[in-house]
Amino acid sequence: MNNGTSKNPILLLLIVVILCAYSSIEFLGMRKPDLLIPSKSLTAIKKLSNYFKGMKNTSADSDIYFFDSGKPGGTVLLLGGTHPNEPAGFITAVVLLEQLKCEEGRVIIIPQACLSGFTCTDPLEGYPSSFTVKGKYGDRKFRFGSRVANPLDQWPDPLVYQHYPSGQKLSNFESRNLNRCYPGNPEGSLMQQTAYAILQLIRSENVDVAFDLHEAAPEIPIINAIVAHEKARDVAGMAVLNLEFEDLKYALEISPVRFRGLSHREWGDSTTVFPFLMETSNPIQGRLRGVTNEKLVLYGTDQNYKKALESGKLRIEYLVSGEPLKLRVGRHLQAFLAVLSAFNELNPDKHITVSKVPGYHDLMINGVGFYLN
Amino acid sequence: MDLIILLVIIAVFAGGILFFKLPAGVALAAAALAGAIAAGEYFPVRHFVEGTFGFLDPVMIIAAAMIFMKTVEATGALGTLSYNMMKYLHGYPTILMILITLFIMFPGMLTGLSSTCILTTGALVVPGLIAMGMPRPAVGALLAIASVLGMIAPPINIPVMIIGGGVDMPYIGFELPLLIATMPAALFTALYFRFRYLKTFDITEVLAQMPHPVHDRHGYKLYIPLVFVVGAMILLRVFPEYIPDVGIPFIFIIGALLGFGTGEKFNFLVVSQKAIRESAGIIAILIGVGMLVQIMTLTGVRGSIAVNALNVPVEYIYIVIILLMPAFGSAYAAASILGVPLVFVFLGHNEIIITAALSLLAGIGDMMPPPSFLCVFASKMTGVDNHYQILGKSVIPILFIMLSGVLMMLFSSEINSLIQAIPFGRPY
Repeated sequence: MNNGTSKNPILLLLIVVILCAYSSIEFLGMRKPDLLIPSKSLTAIKKLSNYFKGMKNTSADSDIYFFDSGKPGGTVLLLGGTHPNEPAGFITAVVLLEQLKCEEGRVIIIPQACLSGFTCTDPLEGYPSSFTVKGKYGDRKFRFGSRVANPLDQWPDPLVYQHYPSGQKLSNFESRNLNRCYPGNPEGSLMQQTAYAILQLIRSENVDVAFDLHEAAPEIPIINAIVAHEKARDVAGMAVLNLEFEDLKYALEISPVRFRGLSHREWGDSTTVFPFLMETSNPIQGRLRGVTNEKLVLYGTDQNYKKALESGKLRIEYLVSGEPLKLRVGRHLQAFLAVLSAFNELNPDKHITVSKVPGYHDLMINGVGFYLN
Repeated sequence: MDLIILLVIIAVFAGGILFFKLPAGVALAAAALAGAIAAGEYFPVRHFVEGTFGFLDPVMIIAAAMIFMKTVEATGALGTLSYNMMKYLHGYPTILMILITLFIMFPGMLTGLSSTCILTTGALVVPGLIAMGMPRPAVGALLAIASVLGMIAPPINIPVMIIGGGVDMPYIGFELPLLIATMPAALFTALYFRFRYLKTFDITEVLAQMPHPVHDRHGYKLYIPLVFVVGAMILLRVFPEYIPDVGIPFIFIIGALLGFGTGEKFNFLVVSQKAIRESAGIIAILIGVGMLVQIMTLTGVRGSIAVNALNVPVEYIYIVIILLMPAFGSAYAAASILGVPLVFVFLGHNEIIITAALSLLAGIGDMMPPPSFLCVFASKMTGVDNHYQILGKSVIPILFIMLSGVLMMLFSSEINSLIQAIPFGRPY
């Protein structure tokens, strides 16, 4: 067998250098921060390093946006971008921070919880590096990142990832997955430190309700679902009923006790917060997906999932008309409002009231871009 | 459209190999380019470059492990160990073959990486097996099959972890199912090669053909690099909270550097150059496979293969699984692309047993073309020119492994009941 060497190594090397230089322009472009234009109700911007100094000057030191009504009430935290390849979570947080008015209590938003993951895409997945939403005031380009932190920021992966402190084993790249690193470790890896900083924020800001927004492949059983810690079961149950009135079906899943490292499990176990994780169905996450491009991010139409749905072999949560971004963001926003409403009803002394937040039907009529500044 | 792209990819790869005599890695890259053009993506540079990083970790492990192996070969440690193994165990060939098979599997059990089996313990047994009269392709086949089984055997099984990551299933309770998946196959493999290929031999002649041992000259310090590498891998697994995980490649490089002064003199630069030259072919294949998988995903071909596999009538699903899981040419790719949706197809069965069985079938992928990377590696180790000869000698054990996997899936509930009946078999 030929050992792969060339008779003209200089020429080969030159071609490789040109290809690398050309592609590096696009790779480096992913380090450019996304433009976010908060609403006038914004009262402060902090960073994760305000809650854990070890995050300072790291590529994971994400911005935190505060909306304080100045009136007494509860505090809600919302995370988008825990997995930067799940755009509806990120864009929901963006729509909220660009539209929101807080009337009672406080709202805290971290739109890019795993900031490091926004600086690269996952090899072998063929993902686009960005997508553009046509807005009321012009086009808005957003990064489409990786499920896990950039290996340039946290590397090498261990032989096997052992969750801290439980010791539960997961495959090695999960060590760079923020949503497998809670409750975090100040002495640990960058993602463990990020998880720790978020826990510190929840504790020091006395957060009452917290959301972690995600998307998943249509074949995953926990889809179009709210996953709640057992102590938040009542609030979640009431929210699911509220959503039914809006013709939105949601499954209610209680956070598994034995699966460690997840936000809804560890936030609930380590603090007094009521945690909720929400999932929408997104074909670009799925292994059955067809052509992988920006159109799939925005419109969510995929012939392979249509075929899989029709075959009935798998339990697929996929609409034949597609799962567009506006639908996925709309579901997240409506579920956010429904959970807040249920929380307010059960906790009258900790009201959190927001206005100017569009719901599912608004998004379906006007699209995402209408709600971007 | 997807079928046309797939046919273009296959045609360019096969044409590159057969007519243009391209190295496999270059033929794979050419196939990726052709696939992109056929899909109308033309020349997506970012995806080509990103794809080359898809298997960066295995590439680094292979390069570092080859430097380590060439070092311990140069110090005389490798030859001395093989010599002693033959000298003391030659009287019990059946037991010897079982022990050799388990010995080859051992690094894979610890690291979850099949390549480490061939490169470490596999390399140790090659001279002895060849000296015992076993045909070189058969030695290569034993190495490749035992490496697959080592990767799948507990405690570490990365394909299971990949499938688990996709279906939110923690890596708990897999030890016994994975032992059930691998140990019968390991025993069958050992006995098959023992009785098919190992003839009677004269130990004096065998020992005369082997590298002369240098233990008398250097004493036990000869084994310091080997003890360090194996010890570091064990300690990392047993005490992960105390031992910083510097990565397998770094462990191999430290092990190689520890070779200085422990045995025969050697030139590290020359040894390293030789190691990289010998591993360049397989590294090029892994880089080419990365580019091709990236383009197949981008163009939707990967998804179409998966969805069409799932759409076959239920009575044929097992046939599709045993044919298609290995056909991905990579255990990790098969686990990720087909393994995850297949777990959902088998909902209602025991997910742990099903996943263990799927990982066993996915593991064979590391031997299959186009990369055939375990066969390529085994051919390097055994001096076989055509690595397909190694694949040919592996057919019977591969069929046994496939049968084991299918039986585990068919009887997943019964196997689970059996495990539950064992006091230490319960996962929780």
